Amino acid sequence: MISIESSIILLKDVSKKYSTDNVVFSGIDLEIEKGEFVFLTGPSGAGKSTMLRILFCAERPTSGEVWVDGVTLSSLSNAQVPYLRRKIGVIFQDFKLLSNYTIFDNVALSLEVIGLGKKQAEQRIMQILEGVGLAGKTSHYPLQLSGGEQQRVAIARAVVNRPSIILADEPTGNLDLQRTEEVIMLMEELNARGATIIFATHDDRLFENTHRRVIRLFNGRIRI
Amino acid sequence: MTLAILCRRAFSDLRQNFCAQLITTMVVSLSILIFAFFTLLYFNLQHFVDRLGAELGLVVFLSEDTPKDRIPSLYQKLTGLSEVEKVTYISSEEAFGRLEKFLKDEKEVLEGVDPRFLPPSFEIQVNRAMFQLKRIKQLAGEIDKWPEVSKVQFGQEWIDRLYVFSGLVRTIVAIIGLLLLFTAAFVVTNTIKLTVYARQEELKIIRLVGATNIFIQGPFLVEAFLQGLMGSSLALGVVFACFRFFQGIEAKSELLRGVNICFIPWQYTVAIIASSVLLCVLGTALAMRRSLRL
Ligand SMILES: Nc1ncnc2c1ncn2[C@@H]1O[C@H](COP(=O)(O)OP(=O)(O)OP(=O)(O)O)[C@@H](O)[C@H]1O
Ligand SMILES: [Mg+2]
Repeated sequence: MISIESSIILLKDVSKKYSTDNVVFSGIDLEIEKGEFVFLTGPSGAGKSTMLRILFCAERPTSGEVWVDGVTLSSLSNAQVPYLRRKIGVIFQDFKLLSNYTIFDNVALSLEVIGLGKKQAEQRIMQILEGVGLAGKTSHYPLQLSGGEQQRVAIARAVVNRPSIILADEPTGNLDLQRTEEVIMLMEELNARGATIIFATHDDRLFENTHRRVIRLFNGRIRI
Repeated sequence: MTLAILCRRAFSDLRQNFCAQLITTMVVSLSILIFAFFTLLYFNLQHFVDRLGAELGLVVFLSEDTPKDRIPSLYQKLTGLSEVEKVTYISSEEAFGRLEKFLKDEKEVLEGVDPRFLPPSFEIQVNRAMFQLKRIKQLAGEIDKWPEVSKVQFGQEWIDRLYVFSGLVRTIVAIIGLLLLFTAAFVVTNTIKLTVYARQEELKIIRLVGATNIFIQGPFLVEAFLQGLMGSSLALGVVFACFRFFQGIEAKSELLRGVNICFIPWQYTVAIIASSVLLCVLGTALAMRRSLRL
């Protein structure tokens, strides 16, 4: 039995089709406990990003029902979506940084949308940027950074407002081994502080030696 | 969202997209400018014709054998009419005096002429608010039927024609003005659409990190408000400057004296500014609707 109480994310018979011959997945049942750290894996095009996008309401499922933190997503109006998103930190696969904002302002945006001014949040922003090794580039613009550096800005922006859920879509895709280690450590730390984490990656090495649950998407189904 | 964040965001937006903002403001300004010139033209035509109409009074000539004691009652009757603003009685002697004054040096020609040879008359000023050529004609016809009245004279035919002609011109000006208004609305909303679409990616991202629609729209609406306000004020300022310039010319020129040009009535000035602001704000809100889904 699946219970809404202990699980923070719950999918029941969820499917997503873009068209009749473009079915991403169907009949997905999934439950993620509060405070869990799971890996989501599968070959390219398996639907990892699509599943995450459904969780933060950037996409609506074709059928089935999704609960996130006790909220039924199908009952969520467009106006309520932002309040859900504030509980979720998303590290986008394509970063989605604002090219006309400085690194500092990109990270500050996450706090500004919840009403925290830049001045009040400065310390917090600097701390997180230091954590991802970008303290020296706060006034640069995204296009002046390398791919890996941009990815770390995306990570900083996703976690700066201490969300209770973190959806990380290939957050280490552009990073070297050492940076990858650091990002995993950061995720572990956030998880230890109570955040639920879904880590999407197609890199098996990242979860080879962990005890973490691994959810495998393959041919539109979950394979345990 | 706090007001401080809204203001800061609007301000930094203004600075960052200064060129786009300036272009939009200019487009608003030029559109309103063209429209405002037509409005000015329209009101001046109306003003001119109205004034001409109001100045055009009636002159009621009495038959020479009208007994003097009928005059006060006729006067009463005339002032009692709702269309009449003011009535002046001109006796035969007064009319004669005017003629003498008019002739100046040549008044000898009147020597030996009976000063009562001119008929007495009433000069009637028509109520300005009531003025309508049709009603004046009607009034003249009615007064003409009174037994003591020999003749009612009013505006010559050319004024009649001018009135019809100016009515036509006013209609044309109004139609062109209306078309210009639509064109202006179309151009302004499309310019706004372009500037919003150019930033759609940015808006989508801001929404993805948890911004409410008010947070996203706020700065844009503040900017739209300013664009509408400044664009239209600038346009009206230019029109006003031109108006003062024409006034200057008018004061100097013998020919134009008495044309007495007027500015767009203030209610319309306010309405133009308000519509411009509304147009910009609504246009922006509509253009943004698309970026605010999901
Ligand atoms: N907007 C869209 N319209 C149509 N099809 C789409 C759209 N978005 C995704 N898809 C399809 O959904 C499938 C899954 O895409 P998704 O991005 O979820 O894969 P992924 O598992 O994240 O892959 P990767 O590891 O390469 O990031 C793809 O086959 C893609 O063609
Ligand atoms: Mg993906």
